[in-house]
Amino acid sequence: MSTLDLLGQAIAFGKSKDAKAFTQRALDEAVPAGEIVDRALVPAMAAVGERFKRNEIFVPEMLIAARAMKEAMALLEPHLVAAGITPKFTAVIGTVQGDLHDIGKNLVAILWRGANFRVVDLGTNVPPARFVAAAAEHRPHLVGLSALLTTTMPAMIETVRALRTGATASVKIMIGGAPITQQFCDEIGADGYAPDAGTAAERARALVEAAP
Amino acid sequence: MKTSAPLTPRERYEAVLRGDRPDFVPRIPIVMQFAAEHIGSNYGAFAADHRVLVEANIRCAEDFGFDQLSTISDPYRETAGFGAAIEFQRDGVPLCLQPPLELAPDLANLPRPDPAAAPRMRDRIDAVRAYRQRTGEHYSVLGWIEGPAAEAADLRGVSNFLMDLLDDPDYARALMARCVATGIDFARAQIAAGADTIGIGDAVASQVSPQVYAELILPFERELVAAVHAFGAHVRLHICGNITHLLPGLATLGVDILDVDHLVDLAAVRRAVGPGVTVAGNVDPVSCVMRGPAGRVQTAIAACARAAGGRYMINAGCEIPAATPADHLRALCTPLAPPA
Repeated sequence: MSTLDLLGQAIAFGKSKDAKAFTQRALDEAVPAGEIVDRALVPAMAAVGERFKRNEIFVPEMLIAARAMKEAMALLEPHLVAAGITPKFTAVIGTVQGDLHDIGKNLVAILWRGANFRVVDLGTNVPPARFVAAAAEHRPHLVGLSALLTTTMPAMIETVRALRTGATASVKIMIGGAPITQQFCDEIGADGYAPDAGTAAERARALVEAAP
Repeated sequence: MKTSAPLTPRERYEAVLRGDRPDFVPRIPIVMQFAAEHIGSNYGAFAADHRVLVEANIRCAEDFGFDQLSTISDPYRETAGFGAAIEFQRDGVPLCLQPPLELAPDLANLPRPDPAAAPRMRDRIDAVRAYRQRTGEHYSVLGWIEGPAAEAADLRGVSNFLMDLLDDPDYARALMARCVATGIDFARAQIAAGADTIGIGDAVASQVSPQVYAELILPFERELVAAVHAFGAHVRLHICGNITHLLPGLATLGVDILDVDHLVDLAAVRRAVGPGVTVAGNVDPVSCVMRGPAGRVQTAIAACARAAGGRYMINAGCEIPAATPADHLRALCTPLAPPA
């Protein structure tokens, strides 16, 4: 098995120490950082997302895989910067006002990074005005809104409404979170919904690639 | 023609739990910020002061026709007892500024809270006592404790605890054992003060695999349920989110009421838990109850009752959002004939 295969496997099964060691070994073998990302990290996280989508793994398994990927990325980032490799798309993401939960949002952010997005993470409890300001500043291809609490879904409605006015009106908006449904997405005028983090990466790519 | 007197809310509630047919289906919605604002107060005051919580819930019960008075406010009663600093917000869920075990997971430093002395735990016990003083036995009174996984996640931070379940299962077990011991102490105190039912919230459990749930979390939930029953009270379990994958395990817990969120198929719940468990739920709280219209809410709750069949109580899938128009909540609570 090649070093990149071993690295991919370490990430998929959340083995952080192995992920770090195999990343270093790949760099020592003079594999370009961009190739390590494309051939090991991206497919590994895509596979993790697929297994999550099929209910073969759940949030704890996703979290340890994401932690392993983060270890690998920490080693790779200086090499990526030095090589001038930048992501193709930009996304802004945050958990809506009143909601302090960040797991779903963090997992989506990691998978979006793996799907060639630069991700500006606004954190949790983000007021609509901050989403609008970030969208105006970073001019993203996509804005992602997360909510875990049923009671903060109205804040999602307010945020979509705020983003749909003025200079940010045409930005693509994706929503997600445990209580969110496609019906809710349609009702509030968001562009996309994903039931899980794996699907969120696929839908994000589809949305931004379909944009004019 | 012979007519019988209508049942009191408590009698109606107990009738369903016994398997008897009530005059109509009991209504047990979860209200927090909505209730606070219904009496002109705010969520921060509701969570911080049992007098506000009690007044708000009694007024909602009277105005909308609830059958149960609840003590639910936020997840951090026990967490505060364990030593966490909690900051109240006027219009939002209280904030836990730093989970006590987030940076230093050593359980040796974790105190065992005394429910009668820890201020936020005592405040909930005072709420139960105030309900009984003000309303006697008219309503069911719901005490509340955090489930083992939920409390462990509050103490460690959610991501840390979910990773602990895989990284160090023995640590996760030891932490949940501490949470259960406190949960039992807290339940005992609320039952002694007059609660006839203890609610257990274990939201984070919905995020784990059936295997992790069965091996690590379920045994601790079972211990809690058995303790509450031994103290002579009923158990109402609420796990937010989609718990379809956990239903086989949940069916073995022995809870009296399984209160499910809107993403779960009630017919599947009934098939899993059998006829002896009361099912509550599960109209979509936002898309249906908040957004209405009222007629749609009534249609939806009637459909829930039919899907659940047998022992059933009216509730939305989760908390009633603060922005819900009063007539939508009234529609949810309109007397409904019990399902067959």
